[in-house]
Amino acid sequence: MIKNHFRTAWRSLLKNRIFTSLNIIGLSVAFAVAILLSMAGFFDLSYDKFHTNSKDIYKVYSMWQNPKGSQVSVSHSAPLMSTIMDEVPGIKKATRHLQQEAVLTYGEKEINMDAIWVDADFFTMFTFPAIKGKMEDPLEKQSDIVITEETAKMLFGDEEAIGKTVQILIDGKDQPFTVGTVVENNPSQSTLEFEVAVRFEKESHYSENKDEWGARYHDIYVQLAKDVAPSQFDVATRSLVNDNFKERIDNAKRDGAQPDADGLFYKFELLPFLDENFTTFRNGYVEVSRSNTYLVLGVAFLILFIACVNFVNMSIARSGERLKEIGMRKTLGAKRKQLFFQFWTESLLVFFFSISIGLLISMLLIDDFKTIFRTDVSFGLILSPVIILLFLLSVLMITLIVGGYPALLLSKLGTIQSLKGKLDVSGKNRVRDALMVLQFGIAILMITGTLVLRSQLDFMRNKDLGFNKEQVLSFPLDGKKNSYDALELMRNELAGNPDILEISGADNNLGYGKDGSVSSSMFGFEYKNRVINTNYLTVDYDYVETLDLELVAGRNFSREFESDRSGAVINEAMAKEFGEKDPLTAYISFSDSLRFPVIGVVKDYHFENLDKTIAPITMMMSRDYDLYYAYVKVAPANLAKSYEAIKNAWTRVSPNSKFLGSFLDENIDRTFRKEKRMTTMITSGAILAIALSCIGLFAISLLIVNQRTKEIGVRKVIGASVSNITFLLTKDFLKLVGISFLIASPIAWWFMKEWLKNYPFKIDLSPLFFVTAGLLAGIIALCTVGSRTIRAAKQNPIKSLRTE
Amino acid sequence: MLLQLNNIFKWVNSGGQRIFLLKDINLNVEEGEFISIMGPSGSGKSTLLNVIGMLDGFEEGEYHFLDESVHSLKEKHRANLYKEYIGFVFQSYHLLDDLTVKENLEMPLLYKKFKGSERKAMVADMLDRFNIVGKKDLFPAQLSGGQQQLVGIARALISNPKLILADEPTGNLNSKQGEEIMELFKQLNEEGVTIIQVTHSEKNAEYGSRIINLLDGRMI
Repeated sequence: MIKNHFRTAWRSLLKNRIFTSLNIIGLSVAFAVAILLSMAGFFDLSYDKFHTNSKDIYKVYSMWQNPKGSQVSVSHSAPLMSTIMDEVPGIKKATRHLQQEAVLTYGEKEINMDAIWVDADFFTMFTFPAIKGKMEDPLEKQSDIVITEETAKMLFGDEEAIGKTVQILIDGKDQPFTVGTVVENNPSQSTLEFEVAVRFEKESHYSENKDEWGARYHDIYVQLAKDVAPSQFDVATRSLVNDNFKERIDNAKRDGAQPDADGLFYKFELLPFLDENFTTFRNGYVEVSRSNTYLVLGVAFLILFIACVNFVNMSIARSGERLKEIGMRKTLGAKRKQLFFQFWTESLLVFFFSISIGLLISMLLIDDFKTIFRTDVSFGLILSPVIILLFLLSVLMITLIVGGYPALLLSKLGTIQSLKGKLDVSGKNRVRDALMVLQFGIAILMITGTLVLRSQLDFMRNKDLGFNKEQVLSFPLDGKKNSYDALELMRNELAGNPDILEISGADNNLGYGKDGSVSSSMFGFEYKNRVINTNYLTVDYDYVETLDLELVAGRNFSREFESDRSGAVINEAMAKEFGEKDPLTAYISFSDSLRFPVIGVVKDYHFENLDKTIAPITMMMSRDYDLYYAYVKVAPANLAKSYEAIKNAWTRVSPNSKFLGSFLDENIDRTFRKEKRMTTMITSGAILAIALSCIGLFAISLLIVNQRTKEIGVRKVIGASVSNITFLLTKDFLKLVGISFLIASPIAWWFMKEWLKNYPFKIDLSPLFFVTAGLLAGIIALCTVGSRTIRAAKQNPIKSLRTE
Repeated sequence: MLLQLNNIFKWVNSGGQRIFLLKDINLNVEEGEFISIMGPSGSGKSTLLNVIGMLDGFEEGEYHFLDESVHSLKEKHRANLYKEYIGFVFQSYHLLDDLTVKENLEMPLLYKKFKGSERKAMVADMLDRFNIVGKKDLFPAQLSGGQQQLVGIARALISNPKLILADEPTGNLNSKQGEEIMELFKQLNEEGVTIIQVTHSEKNAEYGSRIINLLDGRMI
């Protein structure tokens, strides 16, 4: 019997080649995309789960109130961790964590590495399995370091790494360390990344800061004992806060800050480590949101849904053609169950082919997928028994529901009804229409999303950021040389080059450079009996000129005035913060005697990402702090030549370090990675959605035209023209698209409004987006249906009327 | 002279063989005639009717309709010609199932772009003439076969055609209904409409003023 089912199913599929291939094409593309997208989604969700203790680990963050509202920070001062360990119950382990590059020297090699400075417990809290050397507690000795396999290879090649001594540049001096342990490379699902791990106590600022509560510069992770609730942490740290942050709290009260809901001005909270990858700190609150990941999974689901709707719709619509067959089989004695299984076998075959092809496509496309969507996902990372089981289960569910529903409908038809070939289409049309409305709604939603996302991205890319991003190039000043000396050498090297216009340096980059590092530093000071907080930037001479910042008052640091070295240049936001009529009378005070007067004010410029408003910033020329980035302004012509010239100059100045220079517009572009990824995804989702919907529409229009041939013939005979008929046939489809538009637009509007809330600088959500999306969907639908209907309308009516 | 067929041949090629559907048909139809075409199944009656109605083409011969040379006309002009001068009546009525009687009658006028008021007047007139005013809001499925055919004829007549082509108009009706329809045709003919009908029934053929017999596509 089963063999018979398969044979008849196979023949029936072959007989209806057009529909079978439309179905298989649609479904396999949808399956491929769904597999890829859900892999990416599950990959994201599996971040950091590989740590055995991941559920018990938390990141400490502080929340405090100032007159402008609440503020959040994960940066802490060095003494905090030991105080927490001493005073807070239920903390099993804790580690400080500071990520900062370090220059490692071994023999001739001098490599700039991604280093983390942590406490000994780091490797017992987190799971980075040791493969060589000291297995237990690898950072027990302060003179030991832990490196990854890759680092070992980079430093020592094939030589044995364990026991080797390397020099690390700390505070301008090389210090010897012994490689104690080699661990596996960081898994790609890890938020914590490092090439080398060094004890926190060795970090250059540690000795001056170890008892200093005011300097907050590192993270803290704690591991709670079993059965300790993270919510107790706030209460347990209150006395600690009162002991150590009294001055801050008093200042906040004096400046008019409002206490939070618990009546507190300063408190510590715990952020689950597993949430860290999904966390943003915005407007003084911690936001944990996996919505981006869910969006990926959602798109996967919607695409699959559209393809499944196609399958259901085509199966139902074709039931009319199969009525005679059903009636015949019934009179021959087929039971409902048998008929159901016969039709279901057909569905199963289609799904079997589609899933196989889909899997194949996804395997072929995975590499491109990884580059386009910037994910490290691979089949190896995802293939756990649970996932495979889940996959099989969902496939089974889909075939059962999607394949079973039409089979059930077909097998339910009465014998006489089916033999007569009479089908009550009106009721089923409603299901079909509803499904098609849903399909096109999804397509319109995604098209609108595409349009809005693209315009916002365009808007941000083209926004005037307040500095010259086309002509300025920045590169990290890494290497062993003092950064000021290095910069001076660069100035000399490039002095004769007419294409090089200005050279300067600062301790922070604009946008994301090729080194990918970002940082921000802030400080607060007392000004006329209140606290002012500002971002802080160490700069060299000519910073304003190099970046073409616009001075609105005063002047930039000048070599002619020695006193400028202890002056400050601020932006307008900072000037507003001072609240002085003439901002040039204001000053930055470090103590009553140490005051840095404001010598210039620049127009506000976007020194942070565009999803942030422009905050106050203060530039100073402190030679105590290193510069980390050099900025070079070049002539607009010969950009590539200038780039080469700078690169060569840098190689001469610092022969051992790699040149990682890039123009600022590239850097800014890199800050839109998240948006770009989302735009690419929504765009491809939209294209697929509309393409799949149109496959469905095409099939349905084929069938409807067939069903209505008689009517078309009659109408033509009584005088209808080709355009009359075409309009008649397309009208119904366009109505469906219209309804989809009416339903999808408000939803799209809501989503887009929510999304745009993330950006202080954004486009207006004009109705044009929605109308365009609707029109686009309408036109595409029209084209899909059009060719078929025009052909039907042109057909000679006697063909369809020759039924007698 | 309403129409004239000269040496009409129509064939299809099937399996390398030429199968003749119409062979050397010569026919003159004067205005006001009532012609019955008879013949066994497959003799080409309906084909001839379709050719006359310009729904179907032919391979050889000349066809003049009201001084127009149909054989040299383009498809579009031919369509305009039959839409203006010819009304069709079918064996299975071919009413539009989703439209009421009134709407069915109105459809040809809509396609010919008559004004709303004119349409209303013409439909009302036709309903009146065929005595189906009471049925104007019913759907075809709610009518008997005879009533449906009545509506079919009314629809064919509504735009005042010169010629009515009827392909076995009584084929699906019982004898009483059939008789009524034939009486109606006779009456219409007396009012001046030219009618060509295809029929199997000798009795119905008698209503006509002339009978054409076909056998294997040939007039006998």
